Amino acid sequence: MALVLPPNVTEKTFQKALDAFAGVLGRQWVLATDEDRGTYMDIYAPGDADAHIPSAAVGPQSAEEIQAIVRIANEYKIPLWPISRGKNLGYGAAAPRMTGTVVLDLGRMKRIIEVNEKFGYCLIEPGVGFFDLFNHLQENKIPLWMSVPANAWGSVVGNALERGYGYTPYGDNTRNICGMEVVLPNGELLRTGTGAMSNSPCWQLFKYGYGPSWDQLFVQSNFGIVTKLGMWLMPEPEATLGLNIQLPNPDDVGWAVDALAPLRMNGVLQQSPSIGNSLRVAASQSQRSQWYQGDGAMPDDVLRQVLNKFNLGWWGIALRLYGYDEVNEAHARIIKDAFAKYTKQEFQVVKWHRGDPIENSGAGVPSTNALQIVNWRGGRGGHIGFSPVLPPTSEHVLKQFHSTKKRYEEIGIDYYGSFTLLDRHTTNVNMMIYDRDDAAMTAKVRALFKVLVADAAKEGYSEYRTHLTFMDDVAHTFDFNNHALLRLNETVKDALDPNGILAPGKQGIWPKAFRGRQA
Amino acid sequence: MNSKMDFGPVGCIARLLAIAVMGGCIGAGIGVARSAAAQGKAAGDSAQKLEEGKKLFHERCGYCHLAGGTGTFMLGQRLGKDRALLEARTDLSVEYIKKITRVGINSMPPHTRIEVPDSELDLIAAFLTRPASARGNAGSSGGAHE
Repeated sequence: MALVLPPNVTEKTFQKALDAFAGVLGRQWVLATDEDRGTYMDIYAPGDADAHIPSAAVGPQSAEEIQAIVRIANEYKIPLWPISRGKNLGYGAAAPRMTGTVVLDLGRMKRIIEVNEKFGYCLIEPGVGFFDLFNHLQENKIPLWMSVPANAWGSVVGNALERGYGYTPYGDNTRNICGMEVVLPNGELLRTGTGAMSNSPCWQLFKYGYGPSWDQLFVQSNFGIVTKLGMWLMPEPEATLGLNIQLPNPDDVGWAVDALAPLRMNGVLQQSPSIGNSLRVAASQSQRSQWYQGDGAMPDDVLRQVLNKFNLGWWGIALRLYGYDEVNEAHARIIKDAFAKYTKQEFQVVKWHRGDPIENSGAGVPSTNALQIVNWRGGRGGHIGFSPVLPPTSEHVLKQFHSTKKRYEEIGIDYYGSFTLLDRHTTNVNMMIYDRDDAAMTAKVRALFKVLVADAAKEGYSEYRTHLTFMDDVAHTFDFNNHALLRLNETVKDALDPNGILAPGKQGIWPKAFRGRQA
Repeated sequence: MNSKMDFGPVGCIARLLAIAVMGGCIGAGIGVARSAAAQGKAAGDSAQKLEEGKKLFHERCGYCHLAGGTGTFMLGQRLGKDRALLEARTDLSVEYIKKITRVGINSMPPHTRIEVPDSELDLIAAFLTRPASARGNAGSSGGAHE
């Protein structure tokens, strides 16, 4: 990919900045060839990868090197886009929001600084992947469990900072954050919580510190670069009990949410189950052309044949109870009674006890197998997710499900969705899978995405996270009092980052220097 | 299949490149007279580099390319199960491995020089293109993700 300079920067100034970066990092860790730029592009972009081209990438190995890079960036007005491991797949991967931005790749910062078994936490750097931490816990026989997302190729820190989630009782990954070290846009180093004391033994034990608590300021934001993160880990339980069930009909998702939401809120169910349509299983095991080669979305009768072949219902649910046998059994009875009001189907029960193989336990075991779905349409596959947050009731869920499915069918792609139940909301992930070699298809997907954002906004639903291309669209749905929240974000941005060097445009927050660049 | 690049059609080229490249890479049998001690040391160095390459392959590529991994699954779908496991393949070339690592293929994303530096990629490619004499049991097993 040929060089595209940052806005308002000459090639001479850009080269001076690269030389200065190399002076700090060594030439080896300043990546600026055409091939290098290509490696930071959004692999799964829905036809618009050229809107997010980096000019270069730099790879620091310490907070001190990041401070030096940030100071140089301020001097030469070079925008930086921090990434942890660059695996934000479906949301833009390693690519920056604004073309010409230099990627600040923290992938070399891979230290697991501390794992504390007694208090159940770790302190890690951004380059530590889910596999790295999992292997560390396993190899050292540390009885702490992780929460991992469906595709676990990425960074533990990066995922938590983007509000990713897993499926254990510690599944809300952002909630597990306890203490950060951050480089601010002016190069200053900060520690949050009680880490702001120089000698606190509670940095990873107490989240709030004293006075305002700033951790959320650095989540899904462009206000600082997180260089260390404390994360709470779950003590290995004595036993788990799994309850799996297939629901045969599309509208079954409504009563399932009504049955589960009160149990999720009162703590009978402590993990966040995903009610997913079974196309996701079919898409990970087969290709669409094996079942259907006609135009338009796969017809319902063909989908039914696919589901029958895999012995699946329209939706699948895997619930998991964690703790002690007696308590799990009691909670399982409560869940079964709640479901018995709606269905005569029985749960498949899976039991695990400490010492059994971890694969069947319900622990977070990293895998990349979820990526197999991108091969559903063939060609160079891609995927993007539209994920609004709804109240967990059948009324909201069914309306949103039918509305989204109809929109998918209008452009001829197959509905692929799930509803994950958290304490008091459900996150509705709608995956769009496409063939990137089919320009017409990707154009339709891009258009559909904007329609879905608008449809959801009419109902008062926002996304919990989105792809680079749609960050402005989603930010603008937060419209109370003439977008007062966005104006606050911009005020904070300009105060912390007057030169606008840190991740311009992330989450729709543009610094003064680049405001108005929304595409 | 509508792929622009595929392990399949390039296989023949890959085999030719492998023959051309492997001699220099592995450092064995290029007809230069050397002392027995030097030859022994060279063989030892080569074996060590292959071990390093194997370890790096498992660490950097094993997320997807060991038995049961998503890359193995997808290659199996496209090329057949006998060509699904990369470390058991004998039709890959150093150049091809390096290129695919940097540009990606189908649903496989490209890998940056920070994730896999050139020096590591050299060792990984040498391991994946090791000669038959260096194969044996080691390196052809899959195993779980490491």
